[in-house]
Amino acid sequence: MKKINSITKLVGIAVLTVVLLAVNSKAQDKKIVFDTEMLSLKLNEETKISAKVVDADGNTTQDSLVFFTRNRRSLIVTPDGNVKAIQSGKFSIIARTLTANRADRISATLAVDVAYPPVKSVTFLNAPENFYNTTTISLETKVVDEAGVTRDNVDVKLSSSNPDVASIDAFGNLKAHKKGSFTITAKAENKSATWKFKVSENPIASMDISHNYDGKTIRTGDVVTFEAIAKTSKGDAVKDAPIKYTYIAEPDDNLGQGASAQIAQSGKFVASDPGLFTIVATSGDKSTTTTIKAVPRNVQRPLTLVGKGIVSHTRTSDLWVWEGVDGRDYALTGTWGGNGEAIFWDVTDPSKITPIDTVVVDARTVNDVKVSEDGKVAVITREGASDRKNGIIILDVTNPRDVKIHSEYTQDLTGGVHNTFIYDNHVYAVNNGRKYDIINIDDPKNPKTVGVFELDTPSHSIHDVWIQDGIAYSSNWSDGIVAVDIGSNASADLPGAGGSPENPVQLGSYAYPSGWNHAAFPFKSESTGDFYVLGGDEAFPYGLNTEGANRAAGWIHFVKFDDWDSPAEVARYQVPEAGTHNYWVEGDILYVAMYNGGLRVVDISGELMGDLYDQGREIASFYPSDSEAYIPNATFTWGPQPYKGYIFLSDWNSGIWALKLGESTSQGTN
Amino acid sequence: MKNHKLFSILLSAILFFLLVPSASFSQDYYVYVAAESEDEVHLIHLDGKTNKAKIAKTIQVGRYPTETDGPHGINISLDGEYWFLSIAHGNPYGMLAKYKTGTDELVATTDLGMFPASMEISKSTGLLYVVNFNLHGDMVPSTVSVVDPDYMEVITDIKTGIMPHGSRITDDGTKQYHVSMMTDELYEINTAGLNVNRTLSLKKNAMKMDGMEDHSDDSKEHKENHEKHMKDGTHEEHSNKENEMKEDHSGHDMDGMKKDSGMKMMHAKPEVKPTWADPHPTKPLVYVAGNGSDEIIEIDTEKWAVTRRFKSGKAPYNLEVSHDGKILVASYKGEGATGIFDLESGKEIAKVKNSRKVTHGVAISSDNRYAFLSVEGIGGEPGSVDIIDLRTNERIAVVETGKQAGGIVFWKQVAP
Repeated sequence: MKKINSITKLVGIAVLTVVLLAVNSKAQDKKIVFDTEMLSLKLNEETKISAKVVDADGNTTQDSLVFFTRNRRSLIVTPDGNVKAIQSGKFSIIARTLTANRADRISATLAVDVAYPPVKSVTFLNAPENFYNTTTISLETKVVDEAGVTRDNVDVKLSSSNPDVASIDAFGNLKAHKKGSFTITAKAENKSATWKFKVSENPIASMDISHNYDGKTIRTGDVVTFEAIAKTSKGDAVKDAPIKYTYIAEPDDNLGQGASAQIAQSGKFVASDPGLFTIVATSGDKSTTTTIKAVPRNVQRPLTLVGKGIVSHTRTSDLWVWEGVDGRDYALTGTWGGNGEAIFWDVTDPSKITPIDTVVVDARTVNDVKVSEDGKVAVITREGASDRKNGIIILDVTNPRDVKIHSEYTQDLTGGVHNTFIYDNHVYAVNNGRKYDIINIDDPKNPKTVGVFELDTPSHSIHDVWIQDGIAYSSNWSDGIVAVDIGSNASADLPGAGGSPENPVQLGSYAYPSGWNHAAFPFKSESTGDFYVLGGDEAFPYGLNTEGANRAAGWIHFVKFDDWDSPAEVARYQVPEAGTHNYWVEGDILYVAMYNGGLRVVDISGELMGDLYDQGREIASFYPSDSEAYIPNATFTWGPQPYKGYIFLSDWNSGIWALKLGESTSQGTN
Repeated sequence: MKNHKLFSILLSAILFFLLVPSASFSQDYYVYVAAESEDEVHLIHLDGKTNKAKIAKTIQVGRYPTETDGPHGINISLDGEYWFLSIAHGNPYGMLAKYKTGTDELVATTDLGMFPASMEISKSTGLLYVVNFNLHGDMVPSTVSVVDPDYMEVITDIKTGIMPHGSRITDDGTKQYHVSMMTDELYEINTAGLNVNRTLSLKKNAMKMDGMEDHSDDSKEHKENHEKHMKDGTHEEHSNKENEMKEDHSGHDMDGMKKDSGMKMMHAKPEVKPTWADPHPTKPLVYVAGNGSDEIIEIDTEKWAVTRRFKSGKAPYNLEVSHDGKILVASYKGEGATGIFDLESGKEIAKVKNSRKVTHGVAISSDNRYAFLSVEGIGGEPGSVDIIDLRTNERIAVVETGKQAGGIVFWKQVAP
């Protein structure tokens, strides 16, 4: 019987296949015909398109159509065919029939060309007052279109009226060949600009070069500032002489060595590898050189495991270490994807990290934990609460062995609080991925929201916040680092703007193209006095690995703020094959958790430039793993905190760890 | 035309020939369930012969290994070839993910609005309609995203009420129903016209609001509601921020797009808090879970009026009408139980205790024999799929899942 059933089913399936193929071929006999072969639009132009379905004989059918686009950030297309161009470029619109069966469905694509607005102007940005014979300068131009947008995708043709006097290449390098007049024309579309000028006699007779490390040892990673001076035959400086810097490297290691240094046209140089470096400064047909020797930075120090508190039943999230009101030292760790636990530890003796209490709340993840400066109040965040109200729990930690709940606070925080900070009796609770609420906890049993900070940029989101000297530094993914005055004080490195918890005032921001900004940490360099905000990435660009360990990416961005309006990203710390998570700076040392890359301790003393990883600035590294851990024998480091001479860190897979950084046996840091 | 008819008859005969014998011998049942706090989807297998069930497969989902992405709604394509999953969390928007059934490989994703949730594909248009629940956002109107499931592109976003949930479509595919939780309304979408046909207040003293073309902020319906609130004084309860209506920009933060002006409007405090809507398979009826009023509400879509209200257990959340239209199974989120209703009498004929608290979703097998209930659990305890035999109304199996089991969908029933 079963056999008969099988045979009849097979026959049935075969017949069904034939039928479906027939239906399908019927569908394929139809086609969608647009009312135009191609759509050309101007920016912001609106139009209506139409299309019809015709059968093999060319007869219009009754099939319904909808229109849409895969370029939603560039075109607005309504299902009935209204189109508006909101960005220039080449796009497409798809029309498809409304049918339930995929086999019956047909679609067609209409190409759309949204023209860029015509160029409105082209201008020279850096025409010098003098242009000396034999010298070369880089001419920069700016193109603006009629929409007022500065364009970098317009071909600017540069030409010289008298190439024998001054020639210019496609990259804007203008070279003087002999005395005389000339005109440079920059043409973009049908707009052009001209610069009439002349090559004057070159007064440069000689050049000198010096640097700020004269007589000092130069190590890899040290930023050396070279200054070349062009002089007349009388020895006077030609202050407007264009000077270009380059270098010749002779690294100690010639075994397939790659680029071993970098130099900026400001004269700043940094070596990544030890060796000899000859710096060449040229101005026209004159040049000068000087050679320096870069030695290994030798900042490596021993990093010793002191103790650990293994968490074997769930993942561990963030940590906070503090001195309790009884003078002993304690740590608080959160848990991730578990039972809503916050674990308290006695870490007075870091070699004997001992769990002393656990608070369990209705949550799956206690992502962040913070303790007030006086050591009396803690805040833990909630995500995955069964009632979906989430919010925060405020704890009385005056006795960490018997922690009490002051209050639960969920008002406007139901989207889940991911990170938090306690500052001056206020909790800054990053919630719903969109904003931070500012909650007064003068009375921790009766918290109340007094302010909110939320960006108003399109698609804004937020991940974390850190506060120093009354300024909140939040990390906002694609919106980058945002500094907000929530009551800045005299210790602040840059001036505030009269903000308060009730009236947070934005001061400045810095965003970078990847949109991976996950953490922000302000620090003032002890060795230089420079003020930086470190932007840390979190990224998993290789996607979710469903087969094994995940691979993170991203780095620490060193953003130098001389004022709030002109931040400059000057350096990075990037570990190949690993990605950053949380980090901390203390005393010109960066402690950074790198997920699968463990803990890295990095020397960030002195001026910073380039990739610090390449410069031998890594002091130490540590890969926590334990056979008794929740995920045994695997490192996934979450966050560090230097505390009283130790480094505490939490590891997602294994719990809390205490390390001791030993003394340097070599040259040390600045 | 004649050929087409012949094909249809032949096709029906073949399908009958193939499916009817299979149904009578089918014993293996498969459902997909999403574990929202585990970022996993489980394929659950029930052996109908032994009533033993287990996890057949676990699929990791989401984008970030170190963030909870929150898989929430799940459904199957009309031909059973793909399953679709809404991922609730993002930066800031959620997304729709498409997987191949069987191999469970990720095929494509597309961004949606804030906290996308339940969804279904229309048998009429072949398009997928997913509500952007915006569970944790401001109390502002949200959208239903309409997605082409082949191209995995959003075709349009249809403006709807505040915290829309429970996207279910009539058997003929022409009408999509969902509820606006915070305005106590049922929404009917014309799946081909891609617009809101009409809305219905689900409150006990509700006014009938039909013939509405567009639920824009300045629409007649809003004005009437507003006037009503002003008259009965309910506006005084809503002077806080939660009730300021602003336009939700979910999925629409594109340069140059026209946006409404962000008109502020008061809304009455929701009484019904509807969380799900499911149309009857053959009759012009829609059933709604009154999560806040502890009732199941029957709406006659021809009269466009509430016709019956069934008292339910505490906080009904999801519901499903059986494929023969005889019974309705509702999850009682507030008491960790499942209610089974006879739709003719409107009586709860059984209440089945679930294996843990926070009952979430319902899926009924295609032969109406079993109901599969997802149960979230609390904190670190596993979620579960509780399986009820609808012939005896008894729980016959429990399968523990990842934490916070939520979205659930019946996939297939096959002979072993």
